[in-house]
Amino acid sequence: MARILAVDDSASMRQMVDLTLKSAGHVVVSAIDGVDGLKKASDGDPVDLVITDVNMPNMDGITLVRELRRLPQYRGVPLLVLTTEASAERKQEGRAAGATGWIVKPFDPERLLATVDKVLA
Amino acid sequence: MLSQFNRAATHDRPKVVPGFEAIGSNWDNRLGCWMAKILPGEFYITAADEGITTVLGSCISACIRDPAIRVGGMNHFMLPEDTTQGKSAWLDANAGLATRYGSFAMESLINGLLKLGARRERLEVKLFGGGHVLKAAIEVGDRNIEFARQWLRTEGFRVVAEDVGSDVPRRVVYMPSTGKVQVKHLRSTESGDIARREQQHLQSFAKQPVTSDIELF
Repeated sequence: MARILAVDDSASMRQMVDLTLKSAGHVVVSAIDGVDGLKKASDGDPVDLVITDVNMPNMDGITLVRELRRLPQYRGVPLLVLTTEASAERKQEGRAAGATGWIVKPFDPERLLATVDKVLA
Repeated sequence: MLSQFNRAATHDRPKVVPGFEAIGSNWDNRLGCWMAKILPGEFYITAADEGITTVLGSCISACIRDPAIRVGGMNHFMLPEDTTQGKSAWLDANAGLATRYGSFAMESLINGLLKLGARRERLEVKLFGGGHVLKAAIEVGDRNIEFARQWLRTEGFRVVAEDVGSDVPRRVVYMPSTGKVQVKHLRSTESGDIARREQQHLQSFAKQPVTSDIELF
């Protein structure tokens, strides 16, 4: 069981990710964009894992990953990207920013949970 | 007439948004603009003064635009069959293949618009299709309508115009630069071909399940 921050500007996507993670017993903190995500990540104890969308208002997911990696408490925390973006260029940007992995939507709940287990192990 | 002909012959296709080069477009003499045509499972976005058209049976199309910067687009999708027992809640993670696919179709269109500078709070949404066209599965159209409405509600979007349901196929022509839509109800004699095409599209889900591409760096 892990504490996971899930960042997405789409309310329905937040609900789907939330339900999927909770079905496996995880505790989920939701955020609506990169700015909200960064705030929730840095308030209090760090979360065990961050899952973020890319295209969001105020601060996009790749910037969020880059900002989190600057924080000492997030150097070793897995940061997964969950997005409709599938191009090699965008993946490379994510990787360069410090993302741990890239998941293209629409996501399969079982595979998402398997990936979460893998990066938390 | 001659000037119109010359215009048709010499008019260049407006700048295509990167990623949409594969969508076919033809000069429409009647409307005097280029017209991109989308098929089930596709979507198209434009910042130019061109139209987007599609033919809908039980499938549904959301036409979405940002009037302030005159960019807009259209998708065309249907939900794959949900094989889960019973009437599942749309957000049930285990029953959610249909939901995830539909959300993907909606989110892809909206993200494409946001990338061109559209603002979420300015988006204007119109909804078409969901006719009872597939004889074997009358409820497919209703399920598509129900999904689209619920998704838009959850996301906080208001539908400003719609023409959905009933037993007619439709041809939709959308002008993203003005927001104008022309819907033509097609004769039921044309339903056969449309239903066949949608049935094929529905079956393609079974062959190629919707699944995520995952890469760990």
